[in-house]
Amino acid sequence: MARYLVKRLVLLVAVLFAVTFLGFSAMNFLGDPLFNVVGVMAELDCEGIEAGTVEDTSMDRARSDCETVAEARAEYHLDRSVPVRYVLWVSDLATGDLGTSFQNDQPVSQIVREKLPETLILLVMAQIVSLGVAIPWGVIAAYRANRAFDRGSTVASFGLLSVPNFALGVVLLYLFALRWQIFPSAYESETTLGLLFSMILPAVTLGLPLAASYQRLLRTDLITTLQEDFVHMARAKGLPAMRIMFRHALRPSMFSVVTVFGVSTGALIGGSLVVEQIFGIPGIGREIVTAVIRDDFPVVLAIVMLVACTFVVINFLVDLFYSWLDPRVRTR
Amino acid sequence: MSARGRPSRRGRASRQRLLQRFRIVRLMRSRRGPEPGGGSEEAEVVRRRLGFGFWLAVIWLLAMAFVSLFAPMLPLADPTEVAFGGPRESPSLDAWFGTDALGRDVFARTMHGARISLAVGGFAIVFGMVVGGGMGILAGYYRGRLDQGVGFVFFVLLSFPALVLAILITATLERSLLVVSLTIGILSIAPVGLLARASTLVYAEREFVAAARVLGARHGRIIVRELLPNVVIPMGALTLLGMAVAVVAEGSLAFLGLSVAGDDAISWGKMIVDGAGLRDLQNSTHVAMFPVAVMFLTVLALNFAGDRIRQYFDVKELPF
Amino acid sequence: MAVESVSAPAPLLSVRDLHVRFPTERGTVNAVNGVSFDLYEGRTLAIVGESGSGKSVTAKTLMNLLPRTAHVSGEVTYDGQDVRALAAAGTKHFFGVQMTMVFQDPMTSLNPVKKVGEQIAETLRYHLGRSRSDALEEAEHLLDQVGIPEPSRRVSQYPHELSGGLRQRVVIAMALACQPRLLIADEPTTAVDVTVQKHLLDLLDRLRRDRGMSMILITHDLGVAHGRADDVAVMYAGRLVETADARTLFFDMRHPYTEALLRSIPRIEDPVHHRLDPIPGRPPELVDPPDACAFAPRCIYARADCLDGVPELSGLVGLHRFACLHPTGTERGEAALATNRTAGVTAAGLSLPQEAPGSG
Repeated sequence: MARYLVKRLVLLVAVLFAVTFLGFSAMNFLGDPLFNVVGVMAELDCEGIEAGTVEDTSMDRARSDCETVAEARAEYHLDRSVPVRYVLWVSDLATGDLGTSFQNDQPVSQIVREKLPETLILLVMAQIVSLGVAIPWGVIAAYRANRAFDRGSTVASFGLLSVPNFALGVVLLYLFALRWQIFPSAYESETTLGLLFSMILPAVTLGLPLAASYQRLLRTDLITTLQEDFVHMARAKGLPAMRIMFRHALRPSMFSVVTVFGVSTGALIGGSLVVEQIFGIPGIGREIVTAVIRDDFPVVLAIVMLVACTFVVINFLVDLFYSWLDPRVRTR
Repeated sequence: MSARGRPSRRGRASRQRLLQRFRIVRLMRSRRGPEPGGGSEEAEVVRRRLGFGFWLAVIWLLAMAFVSLFAPMLPLADPTEVAFGGPRESPSLDAWFGTDALGRDVFARTMHGARISLAVGGFAIVFGMVVGGGMGILAGYYRGRLDQGVGFVFFVLLSFPALVLAILITATLERSLLVVSLTIGILSIAPVGLLARASTLVYAEREFVAAARVLGARHGRIIVRELLPNVVIPMGALTLLGMAVAVVAEGSLAFLGLSVAGDDAISWGKMIVDGAGLRDLQNSTHVAMFPVAVMFLTVLALNFAGDRIRQYFDVKELPF
Repeated sequence: MAVESVSAPAPLLSVRDLHVRFPTERGTVNAVNGVSFDLYEGRTLAIVGESGSGKSVTAKTLMNLLPRTAHVSGEVTYDGQDVRALAAAGTKHFFGVQMTMVFQDPMTSLNPVKKVGEQIAETLRYHLGRSRSDALEEAEHLLDQVGIPEPSRRVSQYPHELSGGLRQRVVIAMALACQPRLLIADEPTTAVDVTVQKHLLDLLDRLRRDRGMSMILITHDLGVAHGRADDVAVMYAGRLVETADARTLFFDMRHPYTEALLRSIPRIEDPVHHRLDPIPGRPPELVDPPDACAFAPRCIYARADCLDGVPELSGLVGLHRFACLHPTGTERGEAALATNRTAGVTAAGLSLPQEAPGSG
């Protein structure tokens, strides 16, 4: 176990390194880094302006732009050599300095701090919805395997897995918010309860397709587990069927679901970009999309790095979670 | 991922975890069934039936492919013609799917929208198969450091949520058809590559490969003549499933306004977001719902036909 | 199952004309065909047969553990109650309290993700409504009773931390938690080390005696039944072929299959280098069985009439019963054997060795 842990930790560090390096490359090697950071301001001839050799129609504006450019150079260490630049940039990231949006002169960490809670609430609710739907669904499907309910649910899950997130969101928005008006059509933040309530529809949009894939995995694993002797033993002990399902068969059947749980967080994050857009939730996803469209690259890069690193760490934790799920792993 | 020699149980488990990401684990499980040297897999080929639903799906896909190839030549309205009809007209005989806010013909736009979706989807999966498949085969055949390196690259690629990686790429480059296709192609490298690597590992230990090696065949010849044909089958069986993922990815990008730029670049995702404003959705539901329906049917057809093909080429099917 | 008079107490468990069929892709498997027997309070019945003889299916039928696809007919009565009706009605606190079962493989019959103490305590909590701490304490006591050293440490261990023998003891403790009146032990020692087998069997025997429990001991090994069973039922191809009290069965058996089984086990009294007599051939397929004695192809007594119809069990339930037309130890049997030896081949086509091994 200790050796395994060390191996996983080394891999974790290596992947974090690679992920940040990819982000760094996107900024530094895909086009001019300064242009990526500040946009057209990069094309100002600041030295000329400083020296007064270049006349500009609005000198004040140009001067302040040039200050911004200088700030950007310092912020992203653009005057240093590439390897040094990378090291400095990564240590900035690690210490929570996510860079600066030069379009609205805001530190990205502040933007993240403002927008992150909404996205986290959405993601957590989506996972709750998907597990809450998938576990009973999978248990009943496996308990009545190949009966009418199971067959129907196979078709249903196949259908759900074929609906793109954004399409499902639009359909649910139309049906539940506009047509039947059960849920609000847009984000509300006045009260916590109202906030949670307005998040239900987005969470269902994200969670439902996930529930379908969880259900399929859980059902398959459960059917295998139900053939095990210890399930027979539990029946011979006279325990009722549902107790056996939930107390004995469920936990050893959760491996695939737990595996996908970490991975699906990635799909959920991707989905949240879309869903936040549909339901007007001011979260990280909406922020990054807006930033891409505004060409506000520092924000894009910082959020991508944050998300990717979180994702890597989540998958690392999921791996550790296995040892709780199957105590045999601990001594292996 | 540690991948030296025969995969350890844990190595295999974590690889399987990765594969599950793309819902192809069922294929891998059954592929593992007859172990190398286990022999008669021909005897176990069962259930060679595709069924009615499969052909229905194929017909739909062929129709979509036809439309997207020949859309400009078909007697459709000009999809970019503003005020082809009045704004937000309901479906009628003139405009089957009605018109959108700018009075453009939704039917013509939906048909034209198939072009980008299918082009991107097709290109992406071919790109993934060539690049990812090639990397996977080489890694699985040569093992050792190459395998470790390639495995790491796949692992890193999978460490980004797909859409987030796509955004990082499209944020820095101009959003042309080629860039969008390449972006989604890059996303498909890792899953396809892992599959190719896993199948290569199985076949590289089979007798016919050993025989070729004993006969003094060079590595290149073994890879092309002996391994490639066997690895292409499982990869090919997943083409349609991969395309479904790619089509959805392109749709998502388009929905966010990050797919191919320009007014004449019509895409389902873009059409759906156009019709998804609250007022539009309330008063002229058809603008969003027709592209939603066509896109859903297309993805469903790709998934269904893909799943059938996967089962068809499977040596064994899981009992359910 | 000694001769019973009319005034004898009612049996604890009574099985009448039990049939179990499984539809499979190759056809219907007739796993159990018309099995009937009685088990009286405090006695041990051994059901003996090769793998595939239907003995485990019989046990699982009693416990209602068969998959849904199985077709079951016949009567199973426990203490005057229809067991199948109880099971269908989902009656609580019957299985596990009145009757329970121990399985063959202790490696797989414990839940790998639960501590052994919890697995035992669970039964006590569910059936007897014990509190968690009481149940765990009792679990510890049970572990002590089944001879597990350091029970207080074991309760909080996971199954994979125990050896096979210990695990089977845990399974036994688990089964006995609610003081069942009937224990079905399905090959309880097959999967553990030979050195541990005797200990486990003796433990089961002792616990049964102490608690006045009845037991059905399922085994492929007549040697296991010897000295531990009061009654023995021999199964072959889904049918009972001979049932008797243990003494009669071991010393005055009638069915050639029983005889062959007995000859195929090694005995202490046998001289060194004594050749064991394996039973020739394999057990028959249970799909679409022919209308003949199923053992005939492997039987040295087989005559032409053996191939014509399935022989019925003679006598009444509770008496020495056997299903053979040419029973061993009778004149008919000796005559059949002599004829076959002269011919060098049985009527079913089994060739006999010229040098006849002495018959017991």
